[in-house]
Amino acid sequence: MSSRPGTVTPDVVRRIAALARLRLPESELSLWSRQLDRIVSYIDQLKELPEDALPAGDPLPATPMRADRARPGHGDGALTENAPVVAHGFGVVPRVVGGQE
Amino acid sequence: MSSLPPGVVETAEDVRSGRRSAQESLAETLRRIEALDGRVGAFLEVTPQEALAEARAADARVAAGEDLPLAGVPFAIKDNMWVAGRQATCASRILQGFRPPGDSTAVSRLRQAGAVFVGRSNMDEFAMGSSTENSAIQITRNPWDLERIPGGSSGGSAAAVASGMVPGALGSDTGGSIRQPAACCGVVGFKPTYGRVSRYGLIAFASSLDQIGPLGRSVADAARVYGVLAGADPLDSTSSPEDPGEPEAAVARGAAGIRVGFLAEAEAEGLNEDVAKNLDDARRAFLAAGAKVTTVSVPRARYAIAIYYVVASAEASSNLARYDSIRYGPRISDADLSSLYVESRTRGFGPEVKRRILLGTFALAAGYYEAYYGRSMRARAVLSEDFRKAFEEVDVIVCPSIPTPAFAIGEKTEDPLTMYLSDIFTVPASLAGLPAISVPSGYSSEGLPLGLQILGPRLREDLVFAAAGGFEREIALPEEVPRGIR
Repeated sequence: MSSRPGTVTPDVVRRIAALARLRLPESELSLWSRQLDRIVSYIDQLKELPEDALPAGDPLPATPMRADRARPGHGDGALTENAPVVAHGFGVVPRVVGGQE
Repeated sequence: MSSLPPGVVETAEDVRSGRRSAQESLAETLRRIEALDGRVGAFLEVTPQEALAEARAADARVAAGEDLPLAGVPFAIKDNMWVAGRQATCASRILQGFRPPGDSTAVSRLRQAGAVFVGRSNMDEFAMGSSTENSAIQITRNPWDLERIPGGSSGGSAAAVASGMVPGALGSDTGGSIRQPAACCGVVGFKPTYGRVSRYGLIAFASSLDQIGPLGRSVADAARVYGVLAGADPLDSTSSPEDPGEPEAAVARGAAGIRVGFLAEAEAEGLNEDVAKNLDDARRAFLAAGAKVTTVSVPRARYAIAIYYVVASAEASSNLARYDSIRYGPRISDADLSSLYVESRTRGFGPEVKRRILLGTFALAAGYYEAYYGRSMRARAVLSEDFRKAFEEVDVIVCPSIPTPAFAIGEKTEDPLTMYLSDIFTVPASLAGLPAISVPSGYSSEGLPLGLQILGPRLREDLVFAAAGGFEREIALPEEVPRGIR
């Protein structure tokens, strides 16, 4: 997909904010759009690199895998200690089944 | 404050030999923090009770005959690393109150070596920034000029070391976050090879780039801390099993015979006058130190900032998806799951973190992925290849650490792209995973610190330390109390 000033339109900002689970006030969309578009225009200098100068595919070596062995952890206290809402030793979340969602 | 207290190596040797106790050393550190940090703002929290217990433990271990390379050395720890019993918040509202389940591996290694942890140092929120102005909690001021930024993101660690509040500190470096603040504050900052130091317990920003390293007032101090930090860790699959070698011996060896290549692309950028003059001084210093000085080219280095802001932001958007206020962090709305996520994240993250998340989400989104993330990763590979070829001609590559001396507080906050360009000299080594150090190299015409950066091949920290040690001895800057806190 090609990019030039105007790629990151307010509509694009609205869509990526929804994907990122962020709420941006409508009144700020044009500022976000301008700032991000300026950064993306700068990034577009990568298009100068000729295609045949670049390797094909993902060039990073894969992260080595660990052996699949159980070892002592920090216990369930480490999980519940920081949870904002805990009941009966469990973290509480809003209803996800049978409600409006 | 008329003089600076002992550095890392001197403090450790004093405590080891019984000339001074860890508790005395801690008391001096706490007095200096009390006297200075109101003006500097390096610390988010000071933990004297816990530190006192650690100092007592260090004294007891020394008395029992243990050989501790960091005996009783007080450290500031950047607020994105786990220290058992203390908070770790990344200077973000979304992690306020978070208590980690134990030590990060880096902190655990320092603890084993006898270190004492005096507090959490300020940072740009989630390490995203070059000025520490993006902290959600406070700004930090440069000890050389309190109206200027200390650099970032490890600005609290750099300012704490520069002002002598602590002999040493840990920072993390994703695109320059150790080296750039070290240069702005006139201290040494070292980013090891990617994988040298375990990232277990380092709160993730960009996992293929993040690396923990030391800040100190001398190359020998940085080498001592690095020697303790480095090594394989079963808790981090990317940690390197290679022997870290003997960094302190390398510092003592110096730069004689080392092939030093000055980076041609850095000078092609049109350098700031002070920085250009400083680089000429550095060239003379290396020659005087017996190094073989040449010029070397890394042609694709000019694309580094563009590559970096795609790769780092993409990884950040993925890593920061975990902040959902279910398991930790303040919860804003309980109405339904979607609004819990959205409201907690919207209130919890500051503007720069949102900007990076949005940029990363854009680069990974359907329709843009190949053009941005895919292309950046492939460009990153050719940049690494350029470095590999350059290191066939030279042992280390040298360029400035910062394009200008520390800028004024507020000067770049409205212009994200200009702020991003502050990292133009530090980002290339991050993308290629190379070890790199910033060493104080002199002062600007206004009396602000400048830094010289020395990069080595992967896993060749020994070459970096040898060149840095030789350069430091040759340039021989007298140790001065930063003028903003005199």
